[in-house]
Amino acid sequence: MLVLPMALIALYSITRHGNSIISFSLTLEHYVKFFTDPDFLTVLTRSLWIAFKTTVICLILGYPIAYYISRSREKMQGILLMCITIPTWINMLVRTYAWIGIMSEGGILSTILSFFGLGDFELLYTETAVLIGMVYNFLPFMILQINTSLCKMDHSLLEASADLGATPVRTFTRVTFPLSLPGVISGINLVFLPAVSSFFIPKLLGGGQYFLIGNLIENQFITVGEWNFGSAISMIMAVIMMLMMMAVNKIETRNAGGKEE
Amino acid sequence: MENTKIIEFRNIVKSFDGQIVLKGVNLDIYENEFVTLLGPSGCGKTTLLRILGGFLEADEGSVVFDGVDINHLPPYQRELNTVFQKYALFPHLSVYENIAFGLKIKKMSKDIIDQKVMKMLKLIGLEGYENKNTAVLSGGQQQRVAIARALVNEPKVLLLDEPLAALDLKLRKEMQYELKRIQQEVGITFIFVTHDQEEALTMSDKIVVMKNGEIQQVGTPEEIYNEPANEFVANFIGESNILPGVMLDDYKVRFDDIDFDCVDFGFKKNEAVDVVIRPEDIDIVPVPDGKMTGEVLSVLFKGVHYEIIVETVPGTSVTVNMNVIRNQDVVSADGKEKISATNFYVDIEDVPNLDDKEIIARSNAMAWDTETDDYVSIAKIEYDIKAELGAYSVIFTTAKGTSIERVITVVNQPFVKNEKANEAVMAFNFTKTVDEIQESQALDTDIKTWASAQGWKLSDESQSIDIAVDYDFDPDDVKEGVYKIVFSTTGREFKIHTTDYSEVGQEVGLTFFPEDIHVMSRVVF
Repeated sequence: MLVLPMALIALYSITRHGNSIISFSLTLEHYVKFFTDPDFLTVLTRSLWIAFKTTVICLILGYPIAYYISRSREKMQGILLMCITIPTWINMLVRTYAWIGIMSEGGILSTILSFFGLGDFELLYTETAVLIGMVYNFLPFMILQINTSLCKMDHSLLEASADLGATPVRTFTRVTFPLSLPGVISGINLVFLPAVSSFFIPKLLGGGQYFLIGNLIENQFITVGEWNFGSAISMIMAVIMMLMMMAVNKIETRNAGGKEE
Repeated sequence: MENTKIIEFRNIVKSFDGQIVLKGVNLDIYENEFVTLLGPSGCGKTTLLRILGGFLEADEGSVVFDGVDINHLPPYQRELNTVFQKYALFPHLSVYENIAFGLKIKKMSKDIIDQKVMKMLKLIGLEGYENKNTAVLSGGQQQRVAIARALVNEPKVLLLDEPLAALDLKLRKEMQYELKRIQQEVGITFIFVTHDQEEALTMSDKIVVMKNGEIQQVGTPEEIYNEPANEFVANFIGESNILPGVMLDDYKVRFDDIDFDCVDFGFKKNEAVDVVIRPEDIDIVPVPDGKMTGEVLSVLFKGVHYEIIVETVPGTSVTVNMNVIRNQDVVSADGKEKISATNFYVDIEDVPNLDDKEIIARSNAMAWDTETDDYVSIAKIEYDIKAELGAYSVIFTTAKGTSIERVITVVNQPFVKNEKANEAVMAFNFTKTVDEIQESQALDTDIKTWASAQGWKLSDESQSIDIAVDYDFDPDDVKEGVYKIVFSTTGREFKIHTTDYSEVGQEVGLTFFPEDIHVMSRVVF
């Protein structure tokens, strides 16, 4: 059940259009088409680039928030975590629509900005809008992952570090941060992967002008009807993501300190 | 040993959530000493150590280190290092990196760090382990790494917070010698926290015994063991016989009605004291040669020695009658309710204390619905009782009118006094049904309650004494009739450790030297 759709996609990606399930001819033309068309490659790099930016912003915003939560009192921790978790219970699509209201012309944001004489500027349907939408949607995953690894940390390690002469800043760079890396890495995975392939955030907030790989795939399946080409793009994305994860895991294991034998 | 003061605790007070953990601790610690803070859990020893480490701030008082007040210094500015209870090794660093942590913070050059870490690995006997992950080390090895990580910084004082608690017995013994060896080799002050008295005696130059946030005694292991300052210290350090006595004069103490020579002096004349005699200091001899005589109660083989209990003063006992009767529940006219209660005895002095509740409790009166077995409350109690000897009737009635009549007998119960053992015991005759005896979940305790059995010290009536119950019927097979029940105290027993065997039941003499008698002033806790 889990493998079948995946296998079908893999099969579709290497067969010609119009084949029936019973008789088909193999081809690599979809892959060749993707890698030779500069337009498609632009979409791919754009997708990877915006996902990268989303991840970096989520990390920069998320780490301090997660750190603050992990250092607050137990009761406060629960409340703060609730505040971060509850929005994720509401459908992502609905929340993204809400951002249209905030960012549109004459919306809340431009009204506030106009108070400061920043005038009425167009935010919706720009790359910034897409970025804001992505960061907003994926930030909680980053925070929760990092917070978990910070909370799991043995407090006596921090005392030991201070005891050995490390200032609070040193303790952070040498103990706290390295030990929170597993959380950071799974946070990166959880933000980057869905960000690369997201299609409705760019569609809603980018207004069709901002075309990402997710939109491309959606287009091939729903609008164009090129299932085989769509499958090929999906396969390419799957391989890229797999490589990403392998690279990230490698960093993680290299971090383990000493030989385990 | 040099006598340079390195640490002074001055009147340290600390409380958590309104609960006082340290009540004004004053303590001096000198250079090159192995000092142990010893006490039961919750005595404040770890709190004191954490205040010294800088992880907690004292509410009052100050900590002076090398002549400087370090109260407000954060941990990373203090010239001391800690070995944490669960080692707290950094899991993301190797053995080498763990030990080098403090040196790298101090920005020492690579070759000097190398040299120092290797020297430490040699000291703790873990050469060749430098590149290993700490998680693969055994508990003892992790412990050594934690010690090395602290010592490599060349602190003036090393703090150890129950570092051996997580190790098994054999390893713990090894590490005790190891720690002592390391301390002597590096020649710095170790402050060691433990609740294990044996550990403290083995390793320390100085032991600080603590209880409830206060220091009880400071001294060498020999001083603490041989001349405990009070009953708590005597009990906590090793096994001991502790008995009440009176200091008649310098070098003269009386206990159990016998005068003894001792080596203690400086007490007030006729001051009440506690006397400690260690089990290994008492010898068993033939009766005519003994300073005291008694009967051997039990002999336990303990490996190197026997632990023999000798009773020198018999306990106090009182015998009462237990009347076992048939069930005499009263069933209501319609058969829907049942009520039961028993006769009981009451001491003439206790009559004024009798009220409805007390009478229901003592007579065990209860009523219940015969169909559902639910209890029915007793609505009315009628009685007319005077503080005069005699029998009085009492009637219990439920709301529906089911009633039962019973007898309260007012007696003048004599109690058994035992001047020699400074105690008295009292108990009453009582009446119970076969069912009540067989349904009891804890018969000994119930019998004590039914008989209102109690024991107390003659010198202080508010101090109660444990009483044992003895009877010779089989509770599962008890029938109507009268049974004898004996309540008794244990008397004066001495615990003796000796290599010579004695027969249980034998009359023996006990002897000890004047210097084996340790007199302590009595502390009221």
